[in-house]
Amino acid sequence: MSIVRIALDVPLPRLFDYRVADGTAADRGRRAAVPFGSGEKIGLVLGVAAESDQPPEKLKTGSVLRDMPALPDDWIELCEFCARYYQYPLGQVIGFALPPMLRRGKLPRRPKEKPSPAVAPPALPDLLEEQQAAVAAIGAATGFETFLLHGVTGSGKTEVYLRAIDAVLAAGGQALMLVPEIALTPQLEGRVRNRFPGRHIVSAHSGLAEAARARSFLDALEGRADIVLGTRLSVFMPMPRLKLIVVDEEHDPSFKQQDGLRYSARDVAVFRAKQVGVPIVLGSATPSLESFHHGTSGRYRLLPLTRRAVAETLPEVRTVDTRKEKLQDGLSADLIAAIGERLARREQSLVFLNRRGYAPVLACPACGWISHCRRCAANLVVHLADKRLRCHHCGLEAAIPKACPDCGNLDIQPFGRGTQRLEAALQERFPEARVLRIDRDSANSPTKWQALLAAIHAGEADVLVGTQMLAKGHDFPLLTLVGVVGADAALFAADFRAPERLFAQLMQVGGRSGRAELPGEVLIQTEYPDHPLYRALTDHDYAAFAATQLADRESAGFPPFAFQALLRAEAKEMATSLAFLAEAKAEGLALAGPQVSLYDPVPMRLFRLMNLERGQLLVESPHRPALQVFLTSWSERLRALKAPRDLRWHLDVDPLEF
Amino acid sequence: MSGKLLERGVLRYTPAGVPAIEFRLGHESEQLEAEKLRRVECEMACIALGTPALMLKDASPGSGLNLEGFIAARSVKSRTPVLHVTKIEYLEGNENGIQTEE
Repeated sequence: MSIVRIALDVPLPRLFDYRVADGTAADRGRRAAVPFGSGEKIGLVLGVAAESDQPPEKLKTGSVLRDMPALPDDWIELCEFCARYYQYPLGQVIGFALPPMLRRGKLPRRPKEKPSPAVAPPALPDLLEEQQAAVAAIGAATGFETFLLHGVTGSGKTEVYLRAIDAVLAAGGQALMLVPEIALTPQLEGRVRNRFPGRHIVSAHSGLAEAARARSFLDALEGRADIVLGTRLSVFMPMPRLKLIVVDEEHDPSFKQQDGLRYSARDVAVFRAKQVGVPIVLGSATPSLESFHHGTSGRYRLLPLTRRAVAETLPEVRTVDTRKEKLQDGLSADLIAAIGERLARREQSLVFLNRRGYAPVLACPACGWISHCRRCAANLVVHLADKRLRCHHCGLEAAIPKACPDCGNLDIQPFGRGTQRLEAALQERFPEARVLRIDRDSANSPTKWQALLAAIHAGEADVLVGTQMLAKGHDFPLLTLVGVVGADAALFAADFRAPERLFAQLMQVGGRSGRAELPGEVLIQTEYPDHPLYRALTDHDYAAFAATQLADRESAGFPPFAFQALLRAEAKEMATSLAFLAEAKAEGLALAGPQVSLYDPVPMRLFRLMNLERGQLLVESPHRPALQVFLTSWSERLRALKAPRDLRWHLDVDPLEF
Repeated sequence: MSGKLLERGVLRYTPAGVPAIEFRLGHESEQLEAEKLRRVECEMACIALGTPALMLKDASPGSGLNLEGFIAARSVKSRTPVLHVTKIEYLEGNENGIQTEE
C-alpha cells in the first residue's frame, strides 16, 4: 500500500491523499480513479508519499490508471505555473488542460495507421530579404528567445513560420503553432499539410469531436505528432520533443480565455518556451502594445517585414469625411462609386461593419420605448431575417412585437444599422450584384462558413458585407476594395484598449484588399478624418500609432507599464456584489504593500447579465512579482470570506475586458 | 377630414410586417365662424397603417379622399400632430378617376 497525492477537478486549491495498492514514483503524471463524495472522480497523480497528514482511517482507496503514458514533469509544471499565476486551483487547471475524454478516465480507439502517401513537397516561393533574415534569426536561436515577427499584411509571415518549422522538423523536433480562431484552422491546416507531406500533423481546438481531440493529445504526448496546430487550448498539448512555438496573430483577444481558467495562451506560450528552452515566434501586423513594447525595449527580438510578398504595394487607405454629405443608407457617395467601379471590373468589394443583426435596437418613436433585454443591461437586437429580437449577451430571444408593448403604437422602428440592414441596402442599390453577408448568423456552423468562403474564392459573390469574421488571415485574390462603416464609436469607448483593438481590426480588414496582383483600396467613413488613429492607418504607420498609444499608457499608468488584476463579483442585487467587493478591498488593504493599489468597487459596464448584477474591483501594481505575491495571499483570504449564498466571484489576472 | 392627396411616401412595412404609408392631405372648404362663412385651407401630415395603408399604395396625387382617424404627436421629440387614418373613402369625381373601395 502506498499513498498518492492527487489533483482533482474540484474548486479547492489543494491536493487529496488516497491509498493505492501499488503506487510508485513513476506514477506521477498518471490518471487515477478515486472515490470522492458519493461518486468516483478521475484525477492526476502528482506524487507518492510515505505518509499523509490525514489520519490513516480516513484515507480512501483508489487505483492508478496505467493505460497511457504518464504526463511529463514539464507539463505538470506548466499547469502548476498557470494555477499560481492565474490564481486557479491546480486540479481545475489540469482538468481544463486534459481533453474531456481523458478527464473522464476513457481512452479513444486508435485508428489504423494510414501510411501517408509519398507526395513531393511543393515548390517553395522565393523569400524576400527580410523574410530570409527572419528565418535565419529564428533558426540561429539555440535556446529560449522570443521573436516578434512584425510584418505588414500580406508580407508572408506564414511562409516564415513554415520555414522555421521545417528546420525544426528536419532536426527531429516538434513544433506547436497557435492560431486565434477555429475558423482559421482548416485553411491553415490545409496549407501546412500540403507543405509537409508525410509529416504527422494534428489539430487541437474545441470544435473537434471528443475522441479526435483525445487522439491529438495522445499523438502529441507520445511524440508521434510532428506539428500541433490549434487554438489557445493547444498551448497545453504535451510535446516531449517541442523545439519551436509559433503564435500567429499574437495580438488577437481570443487568445485570452474569458471564463474558468482565464489564461492568455500567448503569455502561457512564452512561459512554456522559456520553461523548455526553445525559441518562440509571435507574429502580427499589429502586435499587441505589450509585445511591441517588449520588442522595442529589447526584451523580445523584433523581426520586421515591411514589404508585401506577392502584391507590389500596400492598399491605398483614405478616409471619407461623412460630416459633409448626407449618407444614403449609411453609405457615402465615394464608397458607392467605388463599389460600382469594382462591379464593372468584376472585382470584389467588402463592406466592413462590426455589428451583426439588422439594427441594434427596436424603438417606439411615439413613447420612447426601446427593446431592452429583461435579463441584461443591454438592448435586444433586431434580426429581421428571421423576425426575432435577440440579446447578444445572454441569448434571450423574442418575436418582434406587432406593436409597442408600452403604448400600443404599431409603427415601431429599428434604429441604427447592422450587417443585415447594410446587406439589404446594398442589394437595393446594386440589384444586379451578388451580395453576400458573412457574420456569425450567416456562418453559424463550420460547414456554412466553409461554403461561404468557397463561394468567395470561386468569385460567386461581388459585394461582401461582413463583421470581423472576415478580417483575419484570409486571402481573397479578387478583393480590391474594403469600405469601413460605423467604426467611429470605438474611438471614444471607455476601455483603454479600444483604440488598439480598432486599429488592429481596421489594419487587418484593410489588409484583405489587394493581396494578389490587383491593387487594393480602403475607404474609411468617419466624422473624424483627422483623428490620429485614422491618420496612422492612412499612412500605414503602426509604429507611430503604437508610440503615441504607449506614451498615453505610460502617463496614465496602464499596461504594459502596470500590471492588473480584476476581482469580479455577481449576485442577484448589485448591493450584494458591491458589499462583497468592499469587504474584499478591506482584506486587500491589510495585505497590499506600497507597490499594490486597490481601486474602489464599481458596477461593471454591462452591469446586469442573465439576471445577475455584476461589480468589479481593480488591483494594480507597477511590479508584476509584487502583484503576484499580493494575489496569492489575497485569494486565500477571499476564499475564507463568508460570501452570501447567491454570490459568485472570480479573479482575472491580466484582464483584457473591463 | 376630406381633401386631396398632395404627396405620399412609398409603402413600407414595420419590423413585424404591418404595412404603413405616410402622406400629406391638402384640405380646402368653407366653414362658418362667428356666423360668418369663410374659406379654409390647410395641410395635414397623415399616416395609415394596416389595410388603409394598402388602399393608398397606388393612389396618385390629386385624388380626393375622405379620412377618419385620430390625431397623435409625431414622436416623443416632435409634438407636431399627425392624423392616423383608420378609414379611407375615395371621393367620386376626382381628376384621376380612381374610385377604389375595399
